[in-house]
Amino acid sequence: MTMIDTEQLTKTYNGRGGCRDITLQVPAGCIFGLLGPNGAGKSTFVKMLAGLHRPDAGRAAVLGLPLGRPEARRKLGYLPELFRFQDWLTAEEVLRFHGRLGGLSSRDTRSADFRRRARDTLELVGLSEAANRRVGGFSKGMQQRLGLAAALLLDPELVILDEPASALDPIGRHEIRVLLKRLKDKGVTVFLNTHLLEDVEALCDQAAFMYGGELLASGPLRELLGGDGDQGADGVNWRFRLGGWLPDAWSELSATAGRALSSELRLVESDDSGNVLVSTRVSDREQAGYLCALFIAGGLTLYESGPEPLSLEAWFLRMAQSRQGGIYR
Amino acid sequence: MSLYISATFKELTRKRVFLVTLILTGVFLLLFGIGLKEVTDIAAQESEASAKQLVDSMVFMILGLFFAQFLASFFVLFSTMGTVTGERESGLLLAVAARPFPRWKLYLAKWLGHAVWIAVYSSILFLAVVWTVHGITGLNLLAGDLVRGFALFLWMPLLLLTLTMLGSVYLPMLGNGICAALLYGLALFSGLVEGISSEGGVLPAMQKFTLLTGLLLPTDSVYRRSLYELMGGSDWAGLTSTYMGPFSIPSIPSNAFLLYSVVYAAVLLWLGCRAFSRKDL
Repeated sequence: MTMIDTEQLTKTYNGRGGCRDITLQVPAGCIFGLLGPNGAGKSTFVKMLAGLHRPDAGRAAVLGLPLGRPEARRKLGYLPELFRFQDWLTAEEVLRFHGRLGGLSSRDTRSADFRRRARDTLELVGLSEAANRRVGGFSKGMQQRLGLAAALLLDPELVILDEPASALDPIGRHEIRVLLKRLKDKGVTVFLNTHLLEDVEALCDQAAFMYGGELLASGPLRELLGGDGDQGADGVNWRFRLGGWLPDAWSELSATAGRALSSELRLVESDDSGNVLVSTRVSDREQAGYLCALFIAGGLTLYESGPEPLSLEAWFLRMAQSRQGGIYR
Repeated sequence: MSLYISATFKELTRKRVFLVTLILTGVFLLLFGIGLKEVTDIAAQESEASAKQLVDSMVFMILGLFFAQFLASFFVLFSTMGTVTGERESGLLLAVAARPFPRWKLYLAKWLGHAVWIAVYSSILFLAVVWTVHGITGLNLLAGDLVRGFALFLWMPLLLLTLTMLGSVYLPMLGNGICAALLYGLALFSGLVEGISSEGGVLPAMQKFTLLTGLLLPTDSVYRRSLYELMGGSDWAGLTSTYMGPFSIPSIPSNAFLLYSVVYAAVLLWLGCRAFSRKDL
């Protein structure tokens, strides 16, 4: 099932900003990361999914239902980016309030079942000690956790999180990552809008990149980072996984290869069994093939050869700079 | 709805304006009581005619209720001017509006939540003034007059609430507060000017001006009709209010005008629900 399905979804502010023609599918059960620099239109897109913004054009379905339908919103948990809860409420009262807004009756939210659920949710986000404290005395990180608790309270099938780790310390961020993995294991689909690339790298199965209001790429993260590798005007980074490596052979091999290459061979990793990962920059596939022949002729076992996958950061910068007209190497 | 009524009450009681309003109300009622007692004692010592004492007590009632409606309006303006844009800017609305609760219901619930507590506050003000005047001067009011006057007195701040909430969908908090206060001030001012200018007879131009400002915001007209009903309608009100300068009621808003005020509020409320449902938060 597709949890989020948009087709040419557009929202601008008097013709400026926002996002245009966003066509995107988010399959069920995955963690999906939405990336892009500031002003890319990510928040506009997320707000449309959450029903806070009305699209100018295009079509969108959330949980198989058109945008804004209460039936879909009932199964949707949403954590806004810049939000605040009523200062005078306690954490438990906030959850009760959101339980009521989510469709539960006053009687339901006073039941022992609901209280247990609220306590469990607060425990899940690390706020069980603060259940009866007023939100006014909460730190930003605690408010963020409470926002997450409110989003998860009614067992949503889809969770949309807008910068969930902002305002959290490293421990809090780690806990959120663990929590999101746990949600995924439970079959919950998570849509993550974040600037934290390490979170996307560690958590997401799929990602999309937005820039200047347009969607530039989307798909499985492996495919986005794999592909043709870090390709630039002067070639591509290539890696080789080799066996039967002897440290003494390195200088000779390096010198032989160096004569054919514009850059040096780099030993990326090695182990005691003679397995190594070697990387270099090659001008084309023929040059990579020549190196493979060289390794085999040198008595090494070639296990793997291919373009070096990009780091997410490198991919992000390349995507952004390609739109700015710059060259990324 | 009950959820929002109690939430609005909690919200109101936590705002500083609530405390300020309570203090000002207490000070006003205390000073009004003391002043009224002093004047009544002096009148009794001078053995004024009972007809004169009756008219005087009605005059005090009008003055007391004038300031009471002023306080009620102050309370409405400052507690509701940021209902939508203020809450959007602070982020309070973001988590709430994403819930499966139709926006128009949310708007209506907020209106109702404010309306209940504004009505409670205005009732306290009205009854405190009437009870003080009755207790000190011995002025008796007919139950029917009291109920009609009371109902219209409560209607006035609810009209202002409806306008202020609609403004809060479009304008930033401060801008909306200024705009609503200016409109309210204009309506009040036109009523006062009409009162002053009526001493030599009602001026048609002035009547037109009052009618137009009344159409723009009917609060002052509804308030004046409330006084008229409270003072016993055509039997007494004319006698009392003719010589009160700015507080005179030279022209009485008709029943048709009251009906207009109901339609006015209904349309504004509908526009607010519609605008809030379409607003990007």
